[in-house]
Amino acid sequence: MGEPAIVVRGLRKSFGAKEAVAGIDLEIAAGSFAGLVGPNGAGKTTSLSMMTGLLRPDTGQVLINGLDVWADPPAAKAIIGVVPAEARLFERLSGEELLEYAGRLRGLPVAEARARTAQLLDVLDLTADAKRLVADYSTGMRKKASLGCALIHNPSALFLDEPLEGVDPVSADVLRRLLTRFVGSGSTVLFSSHVMELVEQVCDHVSVIAQGRIVATGTTDEVRGGKTLQQAFIELVGSRADGGEGLSWLGSSSS
Amino acid sequence: MARLLVQLKLRLLRNALRSSAQAKAGFIVSMIFAGLVAAGTFAGLAALRGQGASVDLTTVTFTLFAFGWLILPLVTFGLDGTLDPATLALYPLRTRPLAVGLLAASATGAWPLANLIGLLGVTVGLARGGPGLVIALLAVSLEVLFCITLARFVTAGLAGLLRSRRGKDLAAFLILPLFALYEVFTQVVPKLTAEGKLTPASFAGVDVWMRWIPPGLAAHAIQDASTGHPGTALLRLALLAAVIVGLGWLWIRSLSRGLVTVDTSTQSSAVRGAALPFGRYGLRGTVAARFWLYQRRDPGSLIYWGITAVVMVATSVSSITTPHYLFALLGSAALGTGLMAALHANAVGLSGPGFGLEAMALAGRRALRAYFSGQDIALGMIAVPLLAVISFGLAAVARHPADGFLGLAVDLAGIGAGLALSNVFTVTVPYPMEKRVGSPTPRAASGYTGYGLGGTLGSLLGTVLAVVPVVLGAVLTRSDPAAVRMPVLVLCAAGYGLVLAWIGVRIAARAAEQRLPELYQIAVRSKL
Repeated sequence: MGEPAIVVRGLRKSFGAKEAVAGIDLEIAAGSFAGLVGPNGAGKTTSLSMMTGLLRPDTGQVLINGLDVWADPPAAKAIIGVVPAEARLFERLSGEELLEYAGRLRGLPVAEARARTAQLLDVLDLTADAKRLVADYSTGMRKKASLGCALIHNPSALFLDEPLEGVDPVSADVLRRLLTRFVGSGSTVLFSSHVMELVEQVCDHVSVIAQGRIVATGTTDEVRGGKTLQQAFIELVGSRADGGEGLSWLGSSSS
Repeated sequence: MARLLVQLKLRLLRNALRSSAQAKAGFIVSMIFAGLVAAGTFAGLAALRGQGASVDLTTVTFTLFAFGWLILPLVTFGLDGTLDPATLALYPLRTRPLAVGLLAASATGAWPLANLIGLLGVTVGLARGGPGLVIALLAVSLEVLFCITLARFVTAGLAGLLRSRRGKDLAAFLILPLFALYEVFTQVVPKLTAEGKLTPASFAGVDVWMRWIPPGLAAHAIQDASTGHPGTALLRLALLAAVIVGLGWLWIRSLSRGLVTVDTSTQSSAVRGAALPFGRYGLRGTVAARFWLYQRRDPGSLIYWGITAVVMVATSVSSITTPHYLFALLGSAALGTGLMAALHANAVGLSGPGFGLEAMALAGRRALRAYFSGQDIALGMIAVPLLAVISFGLAAVARHPADGFLGLAVDLAGIGAGLALSNVFTVTVPYPMEKRVGSPTPRAASGYTGYGLGGTLGSLLGTVLAVVPVVLGAVLTRSDPAAVRMPVLVLCAAGYGLVLAWIGVRIAARAAEQRLPELYQIAVRSKL
C-alpha cells in the first residue's frame, strides 16, 4: 500500500442519544478508488461529512494528504472536492455559470475558470444544456454538474456520496469513466454507494460500515473473500430472513 | 366516485390536523377565519337592506368571491391533494365520474361552507318577498357552484404548468398584487372611510358592466325577482347555469387532456449571456455576481423587493399629502431599509443546500469578508436605486421634490445599517428555511419560528434605530439652506452607512470563520 491520502482515526458523532458514527478508523492509499458501503442509516453520509469538514465530529482526526481537516480546515478544503448525495447546487444559475462560480470560488483566474468550465461541460456531455438553469436539470445532469463543481479546482482527493443514485446508465458511464481517469492520474476517490456491482467493478479498496462502525476494510478481494461483494456484504451486515411469506394472495396464480 | 373523493378530502383534512400541533393550530385558526368570513359577509350583505346601491354592492361582493376562487388555487395549489388530477391519473377512472367527484370534493370543507353561509346574507339584504327569497337561494347556490367550477377549470388547465418550475415562479408573483390589495384594504380603505370619501354610495353604478358577468347575473336575478320580474330573474339564472355547464364541459375536456399531458414550457428556458458578470473583481465580485443573478432570477428575492416597495408606499400614502409629509417620507425610508434587512437576515438559510459549494471553498476570514461584502454589493445595487426612486416619488407626491434628498439620506444610512445587521444575524441566528406547498416565499422551518422572529425583528428594529441620527439631522436642520444641508446630509449618511456595512462585514466574517460547519448544517436543512 502506498502513502495514505486519507487517514481517519477514532471518528465519532452522536445526535442526542443516537450514536451515528461510533469511532471509525480508515486508511486509503493515494491513487485509490475506494468504496464505503453500508445499509441505509449506517453512518456513511455522516462519516463523509466529517471527513470533508462539513460536520464537526465529537472526537477523532481526519488527515487528507497529511493536512488535518479540523485543525486547518481552509488548507484541507483546498485540496478536496465533494459531491453530496443530493446534488446541492444553486438552482437559479445556469450549468455554465455554476461551474464557473465554483472555479472562481476556488480562486481560479477568470480565464482559467471559463476554460475549465467549457472542458468539463464537454466531457460531462452538458454543453448543449450549459445555458439552462440548474433548476431544470434532470437528476443525472445535476449529478454531472455537481461532479464538475467538485473537480474544477483539480483536487487531490474526491469524496462522493451515492454518486450514481438515480443516474441513467449512459450518464453513469460518463461519470465512471471520468472518475477512473481521475484516479489514474494519481488522485484519490472515496465514494459511498449501495450498488455493489459498481463498487466491485471500479474499487480497489472497500470498507463496509454498519451501525456507525467499520465491520470490514481492505482490498476489494480481501473483503469479498472469494464470494461476490453482494454476498459478502449481506453476510457482514445481516439480512432479514422472511421474504413476504404473509402475502399469499400476491402473484398471478392467486385471485 | 363522488363519495370516495369526498371521503378522501375529509381524511386529508383529518390527517393534516393530526400531523403536528402547529398544523392543528393552523386548522383551528383557519376555521375561526372561515367562521368570521361567513358571519362578516352575511352581516355585510344583510346590512345592505334599504341601501340605494345594494345591488351594486352585492354584485361587487359576488365578483370578489369569484375572483378569490380564481386566484386561490394558483396561490395555494397543493394544499388540497384532491386538486391535482395527476395524483388520480394512475387509477382506471372515467373522466365524467372523476369530474363529478372532484367537484364534490371541492365543495367539501369549511371554506366552501363559509362562502355559502356568507353569501346567503342576500336573503336579508337584497331579496324581497317569496319569489325573491327562492331566487336568492338558487342564485347563491349557482354562484358557489360557479366559483367552484371556475377554480377547477383554472386548476385543471394550469395543473401541468403549476407542477413545473416556471409555472410555480409565475404563480409566486401573484402574491404581490394580493399583498398590495391587502395593504389597500388595511391602510387606504380605513382612511378614506374615516374621511367620508368612501361610502356605500361610492359603489352606485359600478355594475354597469359587472351585471353581465356571471356573479352579476346572480345578484341581478335576486334584484329582478324582488322587484316583480321573476321571468327576467329566471332568464338570468338560466344564463348563469349555461355558463356553469359550459365551464364544466371545458373543464372536463381540459381534465382528460391534462391527465396525459406534461408541461414542457420549462424545457426551452435558457439564460442569456455567456458567463458570470464582475469577473475582474476577484472573490468579492464572484460572490456579488452569484447574489446579483439570484436577486434577478429567484422569484422569492423579487417578491421581497416588491413587498419592500409596497410597504414603503402603503405606509406613507395616508399622510404624504398632509403637512406631516416629512415624517411619512422619512418613516417610509426607515421602514423600507428595516424591511430589507429583515428579509435578508438569514442569507445562509435562504441560500439553502447550495451553500455547501461555498462552505467548501471559503477558506479563512479574508475570503469570508469578500463573501459578505460581495453579497452587500449585490443587494446594494438593487436597494439604493429602488429605495431612492420611491423616496423621490413620495417627495414629488408631497409637492416637495427636493425633500427626496432627505429620504435618500435615510435610505443610504439604513441600507448600510441593514446590510450590517442582516450579515451579523445571518451568522449568529441562522435557521433553516422551508418553502411550504402553496407558499411562494420561504419561512422558518418548523421549530425555528423563534429564531426567525428574533432575526427578523432584531434586524428590523436595529436598522430603524440606526437611522435615528439621520432622521434627527434631517428634521433639526430644516431651517438651514437646502443647498447646504441636502448634500451634507446625503454625504454624511452615505459615509455612515458605508462604515456600518463595513463593520457588519468584519463582525460577520469573524463569527462565520468559527462556525462554517454549523452554518452549512443549517443551510443543508433548508428546503427551498
